[in-house]
Amino acid sequence: MSKPKVGIFGITGCGGCQLEILNLEDQLLDLVNAVEIVHFTEAITEHSDNYEIALVEGSITTEHDVERIKKIGDIAKIIVAVGSCAVSGGLNCLKNLYGVERAKELVYGDKKDWIDSIEVKPIDEYIRVDYYARGCPPNRLEIVDIIRSLIIGRKPEIPNYPVCVECKRNGNTCVYDIGITCLGPVTRAGCNSRCPSSATGCEGCRGLIDDPNINAQKDLLAENGLTVEDIINQFNLYNACKKVEAKESSK
Amino acid sequence: MLYKVMGRDVFKDFVKSLISNYEFIGPKRKDKAVHDFVPIKDISELDINYKRTTIPPAKKILFPPDEKLVAYEVNEKIKVRPVVESSEKVLFGINAWDINGMNFLDRFFVTDFVDENYLERRKKLIVIGMDSEPTETNFSPSMDSEYAKDGFDLYITELKDRYFIRINTARGDEILKKYSVTENALVKDFKDYNNYMDNYRKKFKLDVNIKDFYDNFELIYDDDEFWEKVAKNCYSCGSCNLACPTCFCFNVKDDIELNLKDGNKTREWDSCMLPEYGLVAGGHNFRPDKENRLKQRYRCKLKTFLDKFGRYACVGCGRCIEVCLAKINIADNINSIKKEVSV
Repeated sequence: MSKPKVGIFGITGCGGCQLEILNLEDQLLDLVNAVEIVHFTEAITEHSDNYEIALVEGSITTEHDVERIKKIGDIAKIIVAVGSCAVSGGLNCLKNLYGVERAKELVYGDKKDWIDSIEVKPIDEYIRVDYYARGCPPNRLEIVDIIRSLIIGRKPEIPNYPVCVECKRNGNTCVYDIGITCLGPVTRAGCNSRCPSSATGCEGCRGLIDDPNINAQKDLLAENGLTVEDIINQFNLYNACKKVEAKESSK
Repeated sequence: MLYKVMGRDVFKDFVKSLISNYEFIGPKRKDKAVHDFVPIKDISELDINYKRTTIPPAKKILFPPDEKLVAYEVNEKIKVRPVVESSEKVLFGINAWDINGMNFLDRFFVTDFVDENYLERRKKLIVIGMDSEPTETNFSPSMDSEYAKDGFDLYITELKDRYFIRINTARGDEILKKYSVTENALVKDFKDYNNYMDNYRKKFKLDVNIKDFYDNFELIYDDDEFWEKVAKNCYSCGSCNLACPTCFCFNVKDDIELNLKDGNKTREWDSCMLPEYGLVAGGHNFRPDKENRLKQRYRCKLKTFLDKFGRYACVGCGRCIEVCLAKINIADNINSIKKEVSV
């Protein structure tokens, strides 16, 4: 069996997702034995356009990004969006709340016309994405699981249940019991309840589960003293590109 | 059962001896909200006056949230070996309803199949019970669980100036003889113990009408309006299951290393409240709606195992009420079912 060729790309983001792959330490050698890495923006100078699997971090924020992601989409057979920016647009989407022109003006003043900047979108607005490694940063062990699953031809196991499950498995005190608000009940697990395990509320970086009870979450946050604006801000931090609407039906 | 009494000073030395001679698990304050059962190295860490624990102590020791079941190696030949990890431990300070929860798991894990991993740990677990303060959500007396008849080695009850000890196993008797000095309990001691129990039972404020549930549940089962109201704010987060001392469902996963040679089969706690619990190959889901999942949970807890084992799969500890951010209250719901069907 020949090793699958993998490209690891960064579009617009902080580069932290690629760093998470480099942080694999214990598994990095096994990883480079299992696949052939032909492009890794943050780690190697060699480059080849011959790859089957693309791991892409970052969101699409410029016309240049659009060209790059379309090229990756044309070449790769399997595309994995890595990290909140690639998956949902991430923090970059906060720009959209101001409008592109206003945001450019706020940041670059009278030089705003020098800047190529468009409305922020996650990569699946431009190309087909097969798998999502969510989170800011993503869980590196989940990235490994996705790659390993691709090699052995199995569907990766990405949780579709809320962070509360992992908090209970980890024996955490619910942060609501110590006066902290948390998006855990509607946020997709897979981070091993990273923030609540450190007595910090979940900010929803992995996005929502498939069928979140948004009404219940709004009630809960309001009961815990948050204003409507606070609640919208909480939901928007990582999910501003994905509109969160409470469903009419409670189902 | 043998009955002994022990003086206060002797008790402290007894606990110290257990801590220095065994792997000792006991209650320790975790934060302002809860206690947790953790390994104790010094008696100063131990706080037997606990009220709330999130995860039931016996469940987390005997049926841990994730554990290896099988390790395998794939070369020319495939090598498979079972993994059973266990060691002798003292579980100190577990209360009566959590012992009764463990008694349920004991029954479950040997009935339709014998779970070696559970059984090995259970055999090596020395259980020393003590009462703890019930929370406002506790309805153990309604479930006949505020008192433990068996499942422990020793059960120690704190009276004003001494401790009343119930000895349930030869192992418990040996430990007591080896590390302590006791006297036979006399009529006076039983009298004080009875007084204590009368007062202790008064501390449980929540009363649940469980006797009227069994039949009425069938009437309410198809009342969609009722279940929609009950489940309206349910997050399908599984907290109620995962914090439950009797919930036993688990999922088995295959973890193969990146070298594609070594791997493990591991199990982790699962929950019937999660949407994917009822999802089967081909994409059909037996319980796609939260209303459906919730009423199924009530059936499992309060009917299924009454039929199967003659006991409820609920000890009334109230954890599922405490951990539910949607404020779904099994005690209120059990009580309201009779009212609903009587209207």
